[in-house]
Amino acid sequence: MVAAMPDYQAAVDDFVTKLRRRQVEGSFNTAKHTAELLRQVVSHQRLPHVGQAAVLIDVVKTVGLRMIAANPIELAVGNIVRRVLHIIREEDVSLTSSALPGVSVESDDDDSDSKSSYSAAAVAAANRSALRAPSLHNLLESIPDPVKAPVAPAVSVADSDSKRSGDRNSVSWKLKHNVIEGITELLQDIDDYHTQVAEQAIEHIHQNEVILTLGRSRSLLKFLLEAKKKRSFQVVIAEGAPRYQGHTLAKELAEKGLQTTVITDSAVFAMISRVNMVIVGAHAVMANGGVLAPVGMHMIALAARRHAAPFVVLAGVHKLCPQYPHNPYTLLNDMKSPAEVVEFGELPECLDVESGDHTTYVVNPTFDYIPPELVSLFITDAGGHNPSYVYRLITEYYSPEDYVLQ
Amino acid sequence: MYRPSSLLSNPPNQDFSLRGGSDEDNLDNSLEAERRYFKLRPGFATSDQTMELCNPYHEDRNVSQDERDFNPSSVTFEWLRQAESASLYGGSEDYTRPVLHHVRSWGREVVREKPFSVIHEFDAWRKNPELAEAVAAIKALTAVIKRSGASTMMGLEVELKEASDALKAWDESSISLSAGCDLFMRYVTRTSAIEYEDIEAGKARLIERGEKFGDISQKARRTIAELGKDFIVNGTTVLTHGYSRVVIALLKLAASEGKDFNVVCTEGRPDNTGAEMAKELVPAGIPVTLVLDAGVAYMMETIDMVLVGADGVVESGGIINMLGTYQTALIARSLKKPVYVAAESYKFARLFPLDQRDMSPAPRHVDFLVPLPQTVRVENSARDYTPPQYLTLLFTDLGILTPSAVSDELIQLYL
Repeated sequence: MVAAMPDYQAAVDDFVTKLRRRQVEGSFNTAKHTAELLRQVVSHQRLPHVGQAAVLIDVVKTVGLRMIAANPIELAVGNIVRRVLHIIREEDVSLTSSALPGVSVESDDDDSDSKSSYSAAAVAAANRSALRAPSLHNLLESIPDPVKAPVAPAVSVADSDSKRSGDRNSVSWKLKHNVIEGITELLQDIDDYHTQVAEQAIEHIHQNEVILTLGRSRSLLKFLLEAKKKRSFQVVIAEGAPRYQGHTLAKELAEKGLQTTVITDSAVFAMISRVNMVIVGAHAVMANGGVLAPVGMHMIALAARRHAAPFVVLAGVHKLCPQYPHNPYTLLNDMKSPAEVVEFGELPECLDVESGDHTTYVVNPTFDYIPPELVSLFITDAGGHNPSYVYRLITEYYSPEDYVLQ
Repeated sequence: MYRPSSLLSNPPNQDFSLRGGSDEDNLDNSLEAERRYFKLRPGFATSDQTMELCNPYHEDRNVSQDERDFNPSSVTFEWLRQAESASLYGGSEDYTRPVLHHVRSWGREVVREKPFSVIHEFDAWRKNPELAEAVAAIKALTAVIKRSGASTMMGLEVELKEASDALKAWDESSISLSAGCDLFMRYVTRTSAIEYEDIEAGKARLIERGEKFGDISQKARRTIAELGKDFIVNGTTVLTHGYSRVVIALLKLAASEGKDFNVVCTEGRPDNTGAEMAKELVPAGIPVTLVLDAGVAYMMETIDMVLVGADGVVESGGIINMLGTYQTALIARSLKKPVYVAAESYKFARLFPLDQRDMSPAPRHVDFLVPLPQTVRVENSARDYTPPQYLTLLFTDLGILTPSAVSDELIQLYL
């Protein structure tokens, strides 16, 4: 099915290569690219009359899995794929329920996998739908049903069934149209999320406060500038070795007239007692409320907890990942070039592999995992939330069948 | 979770249920009457002298140590059950065919089909070691529907309510039993709200649903094992407390995938749950270490994660489990180790304990092996409540949940 549509194939290949080579990085860029690509995929896909949603889901999954495999640490790609799948399922449900007036339809039954291999997560999702209020669909269909053989409907729904198939023909273009609309909305949300987050700045930053942060975050920049319009405060920035992006942030803030202090990462514990609040950006947020953030952030979180300073994380909803970190300290990390830490040729004796005796390893991890107990508040474009509330956001934006993509 | 220990292997040949004049009146009540008479709790031994109702402390004080447990004349719950079923079913395994027996009716002996009792049905299902209590309860309730003579859905609901209440009253301390009953009653009420043209279609629908529920619950262990096995990686040391079939399934699945890990089991007095777990895990090739219940803090620095089952999951997201789970969770928290709970969804109960004594009491007979002075009181609760802040994640067949997500799922289940 994918090979028959060369229009977007080249674009997908190009994106996958860029992801693999780390030429496209950062949750914002990758999320936008993914959403645009998936919108192309959906609009180019020719759909049959019946079972449209299943076809769409199949195609999006195939393309999505390729993109996720290219850079597994870039969780935003997987998030957007799951968001699109959720949009498809929701649109399908709302279309079918409008064709069948007065009946509440469970979305999970129409679009279950045609494959017989069931991941535990798929069975869990089926259990969830089975244990919910028995709707007409639940009563008639068995759970889980690998092959979607239509069960002979009871007498009461025979006539509405024929009406439904008739309606399907007339609304055959609607599903695609609605899905594309949904993805466009999603793209707008991603574009806008800085503004949404920054709007809440006034509530959290008070007059004459001292804010601590590490490195540079685009949403943090907008957040602070928005607060600056009505409050005067100071910012202490830890430089964030080895990339030293804290310097860039300091320059940007100083240009706008905000009083900034730059410190080394090692000086955080020395300064933390003078700080009122810590505000940072995040790379990704896991389903248990844990945070993947640039390296050094866990130390800041511990310092904040030690000195009872609130640790606030700014994250867009597209950074929310519905998976639980099994082994976060080792699995969810990306090792970058050690040349950023120690220049090639600086320690010739230690990097001599042939001798075998003196070997110094230089490690340059990109991310830190912060457990949910250390986070006080998440500020998302959907408002401010507790780490224990993250599961709720996930059920809003993702479908349980998509938590584990196969 | 704790299990009642079976104390005697040969039930005496006494025929408890066929006595006196017209037995048809009190046939069903025989088991309940015996229980009330002897104040039966699972595993609780009484002696012939203490015939009147008395509280557990009183009994523990008055009955001397050597008269307990292995005294053949003492009536225990387990023994009664075996006697009852032996007399009822005559040794056959077919619990579905109607039981015939001789009763005296109007002065003559007749052979009648024994009136159906949900308790006996439940008991029959319970004998299957793989079946959890709640699933057995649901199967028993499904059997009630099958044999029901009601002509309306309302009548069927009333019958089921009576059966459900009887089951709950039979063992007041079992949370998963009452949770399972509540869950099934919820389906019945919801389904009967949808009009059916005839009662047979409605009954057929309910029976199908009940059996499907039983299937889901039986597959639940497999689902939980699949979801939780990723949390065990090579080199993990897992601490477990109590005997839980779900935990065993999870560990066995992880081992079958070739993962290298070892398990530390607490001794689990007085039920010897540690030894039972070891017996299950060693054949799967998992190295097991046994430690006294008091040695959990000593071992905790070598432990990577704590994995326990649950008797019940309460609304706050906390769990009720075998005595000792709370202190294990406290120690794990103090040494920053994650605590994972593996529990099926039918264990979610509409309870909200505020402290340890806020639950229905489940006293358990404890043998201290030495004679105690008369005035010493014994605190013999079988279980405790672990608040949600000490738990990291719950593995359920509805997915992996944080403790705060439990109340959401409960609302969904009971909506």
